Amino acid sequence: MSYYDIDAILTDAEKIPCTFQIDVPDLGYLDNQPGHTLKSGSRVALPIWLAEMLAIANTGTIDMDDPSQSSKSFITFDLPPALGNDVVQALKADPRSVPLRDQSAHFYALATHMMELSEEPELSAVLRKTFVSRAAEIALHARKVGGAGGKGKGKATKDDNASNLGVGGAGEDFLRGLDEWERKLFRCAHDGTKASKEWMENVKKR
Amino acid sequence: MALPLPPGLTQNEVAFLAEMEMVTVVPRQRLDSIDLLGGKTPQLRPPHRAQLPLWLALLLKKQRRANIVPPAWMHPASLAEIIHRETKEDPEAFSPPPPPPSRALYSQPGTARRLNPSYVDDFTQTQQNSQQDPNSILSPPFLPSNVAESPAGYLPYHWLEVAEALLTHAGDDMPAPAGEVRSLLRDLVEVRAAKMRSSTSALEGFGDAYLTLRGVGAMELAENRAFLAGLVDGVRKIGASAEATRREEEEEARRGGDYGGDGDEDSDEDMGL
Repeated sequence: MSYYDIDAILTDAEKIPCTFQIDVPDLGYLDNQPGHTLKSGSRVALPIWLAEMLAIANTGTIDMDDPSQSSKSFITFDLPPALGNDVVQALKADPRSVPLRDQSAHFYALATHMMELSEEPELSAVLRKTFVSRAAEIALHARKVGGAGGKGKGKATKDDNASNLGVGGAGEDFLRGLDEWERKLFRCAHDGTKASKEWMENVKKR
Repeated sequence: MALPLPPGLTQNEVAFLAEMEMVTVVPRQRLDSIDLLGGKTPQLRPPHRAQLPLWLALLLKKQRRANIVPPAWMHPASLAEIIHRETKEDPEAFSPPPPPPSRALYSQPGTARRLNPSYVDDFTQTQQNSQQDPNSILSPPFLPSNVAESPAGYLPYHWLEVAEALLTHAGDDMPAPAGEVRSLLRDLVEVRAAKMRSSTSALEGFGDAYLTLRGVGAMELAENRAFLAGLVDGVRKIGASAEATRREEEEEARRGGDYGGDGDEDSDEDMGL
């Protein structure tokens, strides 16, 4: 993850549900109560970069009366709804039919970040299966879109844009549901196919 | 970021490298040996076959000074056999690369051994005086796998590039009508591209997280390199945290064995209070 990686920055701005463990004076505007104290136990969506810091840091106070109250972290956080149970169940059922972009534009980046913060062994396995099986689909579409298929050589490029060899409407829905990682994969696959096609056509000119 | 090219070779670079492949020509005119940087080319005497690099063979072909003998694997029967193997016999794997040349000694029949470049061709022989060196055994990408004697039924590393070049510039030298060879070649390209896509499913489960790319040609690699690398990298990132946890647990188990118990953490907490 590079310092200048725009996707990493955008991923850090994704909000996750957090629960405050302590009262914070004058922060009530986060919970639609300007001027009031933010009560402990109130749930607020915070961006990851902030939530991570608050969850790791602790108050550092020592409460002699009640030891359990001392040194607790400011907040606890849950998995964002994009990685919630219903999404995971849907991915288990059929990875290809879930538009990941609707959940989050940086779905996988968000998921890996969350898995770094808290351990989710099951989530990791589900995501891996999702990523791989969707990648095969992406490769297929990348070859067909724009008439890049091996058979349509030379003349029929314009017509192929429309036909797409049977992946038509459903394919567009699928491609719209790709998250950023998958879009990059799509671009890679598409560029590769396109370059091969260009080379094929150039062989004849030399 | 400065260089807009993706890592690895582009298709044009691969095709350029493929022009180093040796092919067999039947010269029509006499031509003396040419002293090139890479060594001397063999003398061309009309009825005798000779082996030249592809670029020189294509040049001579365009000037009508030579005919190119297509490699045996480009024969329609050979291509059909490969397609059959790829689709019916083994629909999972790519067809294997050509075997290294081997031949039994006269004195010991039945004991085929890998052969030294002495088998190879005049061009590389004159190029290296050390052709008798037993260490310089050639392995597949450097085998003369596109000469007329190369084995049928195996696709060499540069199969697509060489076949395209030969079909385009030496279509009249083909053993069958060029259109027939070309359509078989198109089928093969499609079959293998589909196989390349389905091969990614090997990454789905934990444990066997690798892709087998044995027998994949240079041009196919150039086409799929970015996609496959991105895919494997994504799988790595998704599994990174689980992997880190697993390693920690292993480390913990190893240390736990040494010190006998996990008393460290408890004592730390006591200190805090």
